[in-house]
Amino acid sequence: MPETIRSLRLGVAGPVGTGKSSLIATICRALADDLRIGVITNDIYTDEDARFLRSAGVLDPERIRAVETGACPHTAIRDDITANLLAVEDLERDFAPLDLVLVESGGDNLTATFSPALIDAQLFVLDVAGGGDVARKGGPGIARADLLIVNKTDLAPYVGVDVPQMVADAVEARDGAPVLALSRTDAASVAELRTWLLDMLAHHRAGTHVPQDPGPMAPHFHADEDGGYVHSHDHDQDHEHTHAGTPATA
Amino acid sequence: MTLRLPDSGTLALLLADSRLPSGGHVTSNGLESALRAGMPPACAREYMLTRMETMVPVEAGTAVVARHALAAGGDADSGAALAAVDSEWAARTPSAAQRDIARALGAGLARLARTLWPRSPIARIGAPLSRATVIGAIAATTGMRAGDLVRVVAYDDAQAVAAALLKLEPLDPAIPVGWVLDACAHLEPRVDALAALTRPHAIPASGAPQIEMWAEAHPTLPRRLFRA
Repeated sequence: MPETIRSLRLGVAGPVGTGKSSLIATICRALADDLRIGVITNDIYTDEDARFLRSAGVLDPERIRAVETGACPHTAIRDDITANLLAVEDLERDFAPLDLVLVESGGDNLTATFSPALIDAQLFVLDVAGGGDVARKGGPGIARADLLIVNKTDLAPYVGVDVPQMVADAVEARDGAPVLALSRTDAASVAELRTWLLDMLAHHRAGTHVPQDPGPMAPHFHADEDGGYVHSHDHDQDHEHTHAGTPATA
Repeated sequence: MTLRLPDSGTLALLLADSRLPSGGHVTSNGLESALRAGMPPACAREYMLTRMETMVPVEAGTAVVARHALAAGGDADSGAALAAVDSEWAARTPSAAQRDIARALGAGLARLARTLWPRSPIARIGAPLSRATVIGAIAATTGMRAGDLVRVVAYDDAQAVAAALLKLEPLDPAIPVGWVLDACAHLEPRVDALAALTRPHAIPASGAPQIEMWAEAHPTLPRRLFRA
């Protein structure tokens, strides 16, 4: 494969506490022997996520850098991506060549998604403890991220969530796009994640993956005198390829 | 290819606009650390005025001299000229934390300038330069007037404080807007003299030790909202 193609830049978004940093640690553990990886974290407060990942010992600490977003975590990954682009470019230059750069969003809420000018593909992370109904409620990341992860499935018995039902709701909200039920303690699910990532990387290198914008808004209903209409913002959902080995419903 | 050389006033509006995508929203210009250290929010007006008397002349003087260095020199040594001006700025900015954030903001602005003005000397310089040096280079590339350049540097300095104040200690948002105008008026009598600077050694060397100490403390604050 040509070394001139820059790294796959992969965004990891999702609400606070759903396990984004832990997921990044899991990805690093699963792929550290195969890929040269770098990580950029975006924190709302300080550089705590970067310090967590460095202390996890999954990657050379110098390959994990923090962007402080000045109370604007959405802005820093979506409209003014300057600080993140500079951080990604510096990391790619300092550790060239890298295969994969993971960019973690500052955890906030369900509405934040990455600009396709910053990342090539994005994961959106939910967890079972956040409630089984979150996936059904939808949102731009849930509906249109490249991969939706339903995390912490090992906790499902303790929080009374039906994982297959939550995954089925998510698949429906995503019009069939891939959903992965994941637990870092479930080796089979981690293997599925690994396969998806390697497949995405292969498409990136082959030039057959086109970064998609999940959009700032979910399709939503406008009430008016005639009863209202659904406003979809016309996002093109047709990827130019299908992912071989894509985890369907776990 | 269009050269994108707007009127000096239009360029000043562009560079002063907080919506300009150059990563400027990450700084409170030291206000967060000052408030954390116990400065009352009502003192933010005096904080802006103090910066106008101390740090802003260094920043504005650096920008004006960088503009002059590029406008006067040939293309061949433009990188060396900017580096020389930037080292004069660094010598007048004793806080390492303040130098770090100024270079991060400079990198964001330079990234934007490389796309907008690919033939400008700023597009060919790899070394990190302070925001003041970069904005001066942009002014040279676009023909921005020196007086407008000084006023943009001053306005941006105060407005960053005002915007951060509304995040940290919300109040009637019209009140700090008035303080920004007061702060800009405070510098106005010096604008012509700053705009006339040409030689690096003439850049003012005024500092505010308390603000520098707060700037140094900022990276160690737990649960800070801003980078600086």
